[in-house]
Amino acid sequence: MRGWSTLWLVLGGIAVLFGAVMLAGASPAAVTLAFLKGSFGDASHLSQTLVKTTPLLIAGIAVFIGLRAGLFNIGVEGQLVIGALACAAVAVKLPGAGGAVLGTIAGVVAGALWALPAAVIKAYRGGHEVITTIMLNSVAGFLTLYLAAGPLKAPGQDHPTTADVLTRLPDLSVAGLKVNAALVVAVLLVFAVAYWLRRTVAGYELEAVGANPLAAEFAGIDRRKVVVSAMCASGAIAGAAGVVQVLALEGRFFPEISSGIGFDALGVALLAGGSPIGLLVSSLGFGALTTGGTQLAIEGVPKGITQVVLGILIVAAAALRYRKVVTVA
Amino acid sequence: MLNALVVLVLNALPLAAPLILAAMAGLFSERSGVIDISLEGKMLSAACIGAWVAGASHSAVLGFAGGVLAAVILSTLHWLFTQHYRIDHVVSGMALNAMALGATNFINTKFLSTASEIPEVPKLPVHLAGAFAYISVYVMLAFVVPFAVRAYVGRTRGGLRLLAVGNAPGKARLAGLAPVRVRLWAALINGVLTGIAGVLIVDNAGRFTDNMTAGRGYIALAALIIGGWRALPALVACVAFGLFDALQIALQGVSIGGIQAPPELWQSMPYLAAVFALAGLVKRSRPPAGLGQH
Repeated sequence: MRGWSTLWLVLGGIAVLFGAVMLAGASPAAVTLAFLKGSFGDASHLSQTLVKTTPLLIAGIAVFIGLRAGLFNIGVEGQLVIGALACAAVAVKLPGAGGAVLGTIAGVVAGALWALPAAVIKAYRGGHEVITTIMLNSVAGFLTLYLAAGPLKAPGQDHPTTADVLTRLPDLSVAGLKVNAALVVAVLLVFAVAYWLRRTVAGYELEAVGANPLAAEFAGIDRRKVVVSAMCASGAIAGAAGVVQVLALEGRFFPEISSGIGFDALGVALLAGGSPIGLLVSSLGFGALTTGGTQLAIEGVPKGITQVVLGILIVAAAALRYRKVVTVA
Repeated sequence: MLNALVVLVLNALPLAAPLILAAMAGLFSERSGVIDISLEGKMLSAACIGAWVAGASHSAVLGFAGGVLAAVILSTLHWLFTQHYRIDHVVSGMALNAMALGATNFINTKFLSTASEIPEVPKLPVHLAGAFAYISVYVMLAFVVPFAVRAYVGRTRGGLRLLAVGNAPGKARLAGLAPVRVRLWAALINGVLTGIAGVLIVDNAGRFTDNMTAGRGYIALAALIIGGWRALPALVACVAFGLFDALQIALQGVSIGGIQAPPELWQSMPYLAAVFALAGLVKRSRPPAGLGQH
């Protein structure tokens, strides 16, 4: 019976999408074709997909680490914009490699610090990390808007934005395919995290707390310390995603720099399930969703449909993977 | 001075009304044990569908019904996902928010803003006469609802069942209750209340714009938490946030003692207050014991 109801869920999702496409006056086949052309069609579209994939992958790792520790870090969005702003604030002043290194450190530390209140409240007060991070996301949005429109605003600009940064991450493009050093770092980070979780004591403790906090505590693991460090690690990596947005892609900070990467990253991590390698696949999928969505908008199907696809994917993945053990009906 | 204060309060009341309704919707859901971060998505959907139906049918009443129905459908989906498919409550709420944001953008670009003339949303028939002429009936309704909720939850059989299911689902089941069924009723009430809140927002603005709820669902959630998941304290928090908002609008560009407070500071207040409440700086936060359990 459970198999049937999951099937109904998937069929319902597909029916909603087809209905929406028909409503927009397009044919599903043409839309699928346009989507594939817009995301993987040629070198320039593929480059664009890789550009979108990079921050999604890093932010996805951030959510993933939290999930392994049993924490739902919805605050990646806020930690990302705070990290991006901190990085830009440093990198508009310092040129060269020094600026890149210090900017990265600033972004990573800022991201971790923005996650710290939620971590402490979760560990020592029992306050749900989802609620605290949602609230801190909004505060991060207002804080960065204020700073980008006020103290850090580039002179002579009408819109809130910082000046251009003086340093960028190296470009490694080959054969018309745009590849930034950040993508390489992101992929390496996936393997580093996989190794860390499997082969180190700290990684093992983190997974133990995520699997069963009480059992972990009885085994002598300091549950609260692990929760705080996992949340801060997640925030630090989210900050790194913000650094990439600034130093590799946009070259400056402006309030819309994230445009929901932190939320899409939740989908990336949920679809990857328990596997770090799965992050590579799911982030590429979400990157394609973003660029393919732009192509759809050109074809007359509003971009919002990609959000609907995202929601349906998350629900379907959660229904298959994250179903809780049946207790009380 | 007194005059300015009256104007401030009159401006704050319509701003607080959707918050109050959404917070009460959250109360029903969370008191029944279902975490609800999708208040935002439900209000947004109600606002969009309400505007669409009202614009197409030239009837504010039909638009009202359509908007409420949209929110009820979403809250029923949340119930289905969390109770039948047993998806994590936060994941389901987040997915619903994403879908609502996407679907309303879809409808807005395809049907609401392509027309050469953007249709005004017909106004709901509201105003009373005399001393109450400045306050719409919906705002009054918003202020009555928390008292009704308090009376219902604390004093009636249905309300106590709601509390029982939310605090200890296992024990409630042993006492002969069906938690899943109680939660369905809670979800339906949640949908109706968020639906009214969403319709009020679009009725107040006159037309639908993308993401027009702008985080009000999260502010309502913050009010619910600050109020300790109780109706009247949550009402007070919502009114305070409404006043903050009105004050922020009134103070834009005004400097006090040479210092101009940035509007972002005022706008952050509700969220910061919620974080402090969860940190237990004032009093230890006590959510319903069975929140998120089955």
